[in-house]
Amino acid sequence: MTGARAAEPSEQGAVFDGPARAVIAAALDAQVPGSVALGAVDYVERLLTALDHDPPRLWAAPEGSGQAWLEVGVWERAAWAQRIAEMHAAYDRVAAGEPTEADVRLVHEHACEATFGDPAYGGNRDGAGWRQIGFPDPLFPPAR
Amino acid sequence: MTTADCDAIVIGSGPGGAVAADVLTAAGWSVIVLEKGRNHLVSLDPPYEPLRHLSNDEIAMVRRHLLGPDPRLEPRTYRRHADDGDRLLTGEVNNLPSTVGGGGYHADAKLPRFREEDFALRTTRGPIDGADVRDWPLTYADLEPHYAEVERIIGVAGETGTNPFAAWRSSGFPMPPGPDMPMALVTTAAAARHGLHPYRAPTGANSVEYDGRPACVDCGFCGRYGCPVAAKGDPIASLQRMLRTGRGQVRPEALVTEIVLDAAGRRATGVRYLDLAHHPDPPVIELRAGRAVIVAGGAFETARLLLRNGLGGDLVGRHLTYHFQTFTVGIFPDDTGGDRGRDVTHLHDDLMIDTPELLGAAREAGLPWLRGGVTEHGSAAGPVDEALMYPGGPRHAAAMADSSLRRRMWVLTVQGEDLAQPANRVDLDPSVRDAWGLPAGRVTYRPHRHELAASAYAAAVHEAVLVDAGAQAAFSATSPPQHDIDLHASINPIGIAPASRHVMGTARMGTDPATSVVSPEQRLWDVDNVLICDSSVFVTSAGYNPTLTLAALSHRAATLLTG
Ligand SMILES: Cc1cc2nc3c(=O)[nH]c(=O)nc-3n(C[C@H](O)[C@H](O)[C@H](O)COP(=O)(O)OP(=O)(O)OC[C@H]3O[C@@H](n4cnc5c(N)ncnc54)[C@H](O)[C@@H]3O)c2cc1C
Ligand code: SF4
Repeated sequence: MTGARAAEPSEQGAVFDGPARAVIAAALDAQVPGSVALGAVDYVERLLTALDHDPPRLWAAPEGSGQAWLEVGVWERAAWAQRIAEMHAAYDRVAAGEPTEADVRLVHEHACEATFGDPAYGGNRDGAGWRQIGFPDPLFPPAR
Repeated sequence: MTTADCDAIVIGSGPGGAVAADVLTAAGWSVIVLEKGRNHLVSLDPPYEPLRHLSNDEIAMVRRHLLGPDPRLEPRTYRRHADDGDRLLTGEVNNLPSTVGGGGYHADAKLPRFREEDFALRTTRGPIDGADVRDWPLTYADLEPHYAEVERIIGVAGETGTNPFAAWRSSGFPMPPGPDMPMALVTTAAAARHGLHPYRAPTGANSVEYDGRPACVDCGFCGRYGCPVAAKGDPIASLQRMLRTGRGQVRPEALVTEIVLDAAGRRATGVRYLDLAHHPDPPVIELRAGRAVIVAGGAFETARLLLRNGLGGDLVGRHLTYHFQTFTVGIFPDDTGGDRGRDVTHLHDDLMIDTPELLGAAREAGLPWLRGGVTEHGSAAGPVDEALMYPGGPRHAAAMADSSLRRRMWVLTVQGEDLAQPANRVDLDPSVRDAWGLPAGRVTYRPHRHELAASAYAAAVHEAVLVDAGAQAAFSATSPPQHDIDLHASINPIGIAPASRHVMGTARMGTDPATSVVSPEQRLWDVDNVLICDSSVFVTSAGYNPTLTLAALSHRAATLLTG
């Protein structure tokens, strides 16, 4: 277990401990200013703990479909387990102040996804990211 | 004598496989469709309703591979030519979805027909040095009844009489066109002022309720998204029809690894597949087909499967073509309204037509002729996509608010005809493997100078059109990029490999086994009860979106097979 991770995800899905959280938040905000206020850290933590749930919280189901999350196939689950482990390692480096170029790109991607992706994933709180840029609410949103 | 599990096995459930399965079951054959991806499309139990797994969700669809393939499980590799070494990149290369429905599920379904001369390029235009220009072994007239039939099955909305270059048709479109995107009216008016002839795109999205499926509501999440209301007919309509006969089944998570032959090696008796519902050791299942095996894995995966099995001869994988895409981007002062609509509602064909200007451009390039491609008037970028295009930092919010690459953007995209070259190919990567230990497919591709000259011509024409339409700035880019690859490796939003999802030509059809992989009936020359029913069989790429043509070919091949 490394510094960027708390021992267990908390009820809220928190993954990063206090100091790591602050450094990671700063890194996300440096990429997309304002992203943290819209939930970017929460977005990242939810992604890193997506497989701790059944079904995994990777793909939101459509609103009104009677389910919240779609099933993930066994092979897809294995690929995501590997990908998420690598993301953990990347955020460890970010928290330690030693990100690689690829880590910075990952933080950029997550800051963009968190600010302008659907609120179902923990970012873009109340659709505020979309309102800032005049993007209309989707006609067929996922379950939030 | 062993009994067969079915009359025919169809490998792949995209538009090509679905149409073949539909025709075969309608003719009384029993069919099992094997699809390596998972099922998010249609319930496989009566009454076979759409599954409705999909929403307007950029994260799941575009960022998290919901419709597959996950590039970690199924990596592909790319290089421009052998001098690049074994590969330049590993990951996503022309990935079409791997899911029940294949790429048809999330295409935005512009479904134009080819024209008469597209099937006879060698005769009508002649050879070009360095390219392998050939006629098809069939004519437009041979295919026309099948075009009409698949337009009816899929449900294509369109209008006749507005495209002066369109080929003749035996019947009208099954539906009128859907609503126009407002900005398309602005750019088509400008195009007309420049002597071009725009028309409403034939589109496989219902403009009215059709075949029990509702009309499109222009949700704005069309290309790269499955339709939340099943208003796109391709290929759910074919799969539902097949399932309703009671003679067809679809098995998702079934990765075909082997085509099994009889002792003489002349007939396929069935296939072996991995049952991917199991991890980490998927069992191998053998299925026997009494009459035929239809390969419809898409032009990339079909070639990969044939190569792994040593089937089809030395030409398999060669003559890979894409559409050489030229994107002319206009930045307008105001909102272009692209957040709603079907992405593309209008096309023009003019760059496919010999004009004195195009012939002049050909002469300047030292070529006998040039062909551009169909041009799409449209807009399609989600907000996450847009955000990723701007560098991180203090100016990011201002760039998003300004939104030159989404809200104020409108794009003319040319699906440029790509000439076949033997060195452009899919083969097996020497060391990269997929999650099941099978060699990854590798693309070796670089454009012919024909494509570069046609692209330069198109860019100049379209930049002028967009400026006339009111753009403050217009610029053009191509895929693949034409400049130093290092400039593009990490920053180019469309990447260094060809971004086109129109993949063709890897198992060409012809009348001579020495120069083709399949016969005019789309049968492998070496194992004649194996048919290829996807765009692998294209002899030329033409400058038109390929799916209606590959579906019509599949319809024809399956119809000939059942007699
Ligand atoms: C965003 C987007 C927009 C597009 N827009 C258009 C458009 O407007 N017009 C147009 O004409 N085209 C469009 N296309 C292209 C279109 O999707 C393809 O031309 C079409 O899907 C090809 O059909 P296919 O049946 O040959 O192959 P695919 O659709 O690729 O289907 C093949 C299926 O076979 C499966 N498969 C492969 N190998 C195996 C195996 N070994 N075992 C089991 N299963 C296997 C795959 O998983 C896949 O599901 C678009 C594509 C994309 C991505
Ligand atoms: S634009 Fe129409 S056809 Fe396309 S996904 Fe939305 S509702 Fe479906």
